[in-house]
Amino acid sequence: MITKTVKQFFIYLVLVAITIAIIFPIYWTFLVSTKLKIELLDRPVPYPTRFASENYSRPFVKDIYGQYLMNSILVALGNVGLVLLLAIPATYGLSRFKIKGKENLFFWLITNRMAPPAAFIIPLYLIFSGKVLSFIHLIDTHLVLILTYCLFNLPFAIWLLRGTIDSLPVELDEAAYVDGCSNLGILWKIIIPLAKPTIVVTAILTWLFSWNEMLLASILTSTRASTITPAIIKFVTMAGTDWGEMAAVSIVCLIPAFVFLGFTQRYIIAGLTFGAMKE
Amino acid sequence: MKTSFRKQISGWGFLSPALAVIGFIGIFPFVYVVWLSLYEYNVFSLKGWIFTGLGNYLKLILDARFLDSLYKSILFVGVTCGIQIPLGLAFAILLSQQFVGRGVFRTILALPLSMAPVAIGSMWVLITRPAVGPISYWLSTFGITYNISESSVQAFLTTVIMDVWHWTPFVTLTFLAGLTSIPPEPLEAARVDGANAWKTFRYVTFPLLKPIFATILFIRIMDTFRIYDEIWALTSGGPGTATRYVNISLVRTTLAQSDYGYGATMSVFLLYLTVALCTVLLKLISKVRKEYE
Amino acid sequence: MEWWEKAAEPYRGVTLKVIGQSTAPSIVLRDIAAPEFEKVTGIKVDFEVQPWEVEYEKFIRDVTGNTGIYDAAYIEQDAIYAFMQQKWLTDLTELMEKNPQITDPDLDVNDFTKFIEYFKDSNGHIFGFPFEAFLKMYIYRTDLFNDPEAKEAFKAEYGKDLKPADTWEEYEQNAKFFTEWGKKKGIELYGHTAQAKTGYPAVAYEIVESIWPAMGIYNWGINLEKWRATVENGGQVNSDKAKAALRWYVDMLKYAPPDVKTYTWDEESSSVAAGKVAQGLVYCENLAPLICNPEKSKVAGKVAVTKPPTTPEALADAKAGKGYIGYYDGASYSIPYCSKNKEAAWLFIQWVTRKGWDLEYTRLASRVVRKSTLESPEIKDMDIAQGGYFTAFKEYESLFSGAAPLPMHLVIIDIYMNWISKAVAGEATPEEALDGLAKEIDEAMVKLGY
Repeated sequence: MITKTVKQFFIYLVLVAITIAIIFPIYWTFLVSTKLKIELLDRPVPYPTRFASENYSRPFVKDIYGQYLMNSILVALGNVGLVLLLAIPATYGLSRFKIKGKENLFFWLITNRMAPPAAFIIPLYLIFSGKVLSFIHLIDTHLVLILTYCLFNLPFAIWLLRGTIDSLPVELDEAAYVDGCSNLGILWKIIIPLAKPTIVVTAILTWLFSWNEMLLASILTSTRASTITPAIIKFVTMAGTDWGEMAAVSIVCLIPAFVFLGFTQRYIIAGLTFGAMKE
Repeated sequence: MKTSFRKQISGWGFLSPALAVIGFIGIFPFVYVVWLSLYEYNVFSLKGWIFTGLGNYLKLILDARFLDSLYKSILFVGVTCGIQIPLGLAFAILLSQQFVGRGVFRTILALPLSMAPVAIGSMWVLITRPAVGPISYWLSTFGITYNISESSVQAFLTTVIMDVWHWTPFVTLTFLAGLTSIPPEPLEAARVDGANAWKTFRYVTFPLLKPIFATILFIRIMDTFRIYDEIWALTSGGPGTATRYVNISLVRTTLAQSDYGYGATMSVFLLYLTVALCTVLLKLISKVRKEYE
Repeated sequence: MEWWEKAAEPYRGVTLKVIGQSTAPSIVLRDIAAPEFEKVTGIKVDFEVQPWEVEYEKFIRDVTGNTGIYDAAYIEQDAIYAFMQQKWLTDLTELMEKNPQITDPDLDVNDFTKFIEYFKDSNGHIFGFPFEAFLKMYIYRTDLFNDPEAKEAFKAEYGKDLKPADTWEEYEQNAKFFTEWGKKKGIELYGHTAQAKTGYPAVAYEIVESIWPAMGIYNWGINLEKWRATVENGGQVNSDKAKAALRWYVDMLKYAPPDVKTYTWDEESSSVAAGKVAQGLVYCENLAPLICNPEKSKVAGKVAVTKPPTTPEALADAKAGKGYIGYYDGASYSIPYCSKNKEAAWLFIQWVTRKGWDLEYTRLASRVVRKSTLESPEIKDMDIAQGGYFTAFKEYESLFSGAAPLPMHLVIIDIYMNWISKAVAGEATPEEALDGLAKEIDEAMVKLGY
């Protein structure tokens, strides 16, 4: 019979191990960001001996990484807004209404999420630079990324939301309808409040994807609207990788995401039930 | 259930904005890529566009280099998902116990998820560099030479560990979601019946988790196949071709070699491979879900 | 300055979009030259910098899609043949002739070093004006080579004096000596360094640009008339000479630091800066910023630069003009054919290569493209600080050459990389790798229509 204290001890042991495993690489990145270039030529001392603030100030103050960071935030938030605006009604439509070929449509949506992103590089570039429809000139704008990320985030959002919305009893709809609610009203007053945990999860995961995406951002933006992720690879040059600055930018890039996730992780847990558990 | 004419149209009404956006940016690329895959077209070729029909596809399935990277990808996906899913489940069970500081640990789990893949790859480069990284140093004190630029096996394992580090927290959080929504009655019943922890898990908890299990498997397999940023930053597909997974092959063909025709072929092939794989999994999920309706 | 203001009058308010590399010379342009240009001419410059591959991809995407996004782009010398052939670049000679009013009277095309020859097509028309140029030279540690104890030990072992290598045999002896010296002394010292990261193009470039030419194999081993690589078809890629060279390269890695297979261009020079390496071939664009800067290097002031070791035949070939001993590296800014602001872009290109500023630019980024700069008295101080680089540059410049005129360069470099990586990683012997490489190159040439 394992006693409670032994069990607790074991739990804490494992947890400490996990924490070290998770935190160590990040700590190391932070450490590197405090080192001068000359210290990084060899094995650096494993604790910070000084704070090389120029690793932070040069990209963010002298260079325009601050702007890139701002762009990342704008694009991520914009995309979340757009995705929620489109996906919630879409899922409601898919769930509650008889639509012919619903399953096939749903499946087609998911295939967009499955496709290798590299396949989209050239076609999307052609579309947004006006070669397909000549009035479109969206290269290097925030809008181009906000739109493009929908290609992956919308299907994923619909997929996440569908489980939850499907599991909400239709009787609630009918009751509201009898009370004189329109479809839109049902969506707004019944569905959305009940699906809130999943909506929050969807928002979080959408935000994360947009924040972390690099390939398409590097292709579709250049100086004005570039997000911070393609900017990280700029440090890798033929004339010296600036590990200190790269680490500094990585750490700064991590902070908003972590703050966001850290505060909302309880919603993730509440919202990822996929509606599969019913009594 | 009402199925009036009005409801049908409204359904499409709700759906159409989303469809419009995805259609606008999704259909043209798809058509373009399929069309491009029927041609032999390299930007630097003197011959220009040459129609080959399905010739590219034939070439692809006989292409030893591509098949090799496909094999390595499948191996990678298998090993890494095979580790992170059971591991995530185990951690989830652990974190669903009652203990002080539970919230703190759950928050720490969010850290790996918050990092951009390219940053994660660079981070792992820093800690695994042969002369300069802490892991190599630490292992050398045990007499182990750790050099991922020399040893294929070590490089492969490092990519696995990196991916496990990155995504196990996500798996854990997902399973935690599942665990916390398990109603307590069946667990109580099992306990009253005298079942021990393992039996409870095996016959009560796990079956209830099956839908989530299938779903997370689906997501992880789909995403691990598409991995690029981290691996490229860490090993460039090396040493030699040890970690040159399928998406790296694709990106190098399309962007570096400017072989747009063949790259398009690869894209279509990989898309349908993933689709086939995921169809199987999706059917599994809905079958499993139906069992619990 | 008045000339610039007047010439730019019609283009005031235009915004130029320029794309460059994220290396020092381009960054200097972005941070210093472009804002000045804006102030003087009123033409705005939107200057983007990207890493090497990304810059190319974006440029190629722009010109293949005819999207007209960029007005000026960084074109590295070895890529210009491909772009000229595809007619992606504006003929600047023609542009100059048609537009004397916006051509700087002080431009003095003849003042450019011979490097500008490598940006001309077969008619002698210029398609890019060089703004940066470097030689990949042989760098060595003066403190180690002058160390009396080391000199004694070397003499005892090899029966001759310790000195920077002239031939590859001497280089190998030095390498072996210093690696063993490091072990004996218990310091981390190696006799060689390289950019041997497998799966990444740098290792292929090192072979075709630096090692092979200095051993007598030119133009990447490809026969430029027949466009073939195999010996059977007139090439040299799988010749015994080439195989011996690759085998030598792979074997020499044992004298390099143990993480040499993670090195690309910059880590190679970092290994020198860390003090771990006694000698090596280094791209001199890394010389000043990395190796001579005491904030970034542990060996600042302790290095010197000279021409790379060669085989006697290669040196003779180079002196006779039949071959070359290394790569004359560098780049130009050129105007894509689909640019909508060619005239304004031409003004900008002249601005960054103008005589009045060239010396200052050399001071900031250690690159030389004008003869007048090389001859100027001020350069002597820089020369001393950089281990005699500019003296060596002047002396050996004629022995270096731009890249082989291979229009399909960007496509086949990946093929070279695949096979050479295999050899370096040990997945194939050098002989097998080169046989495989030559065969695949021939096949690729046929497929591309050559």
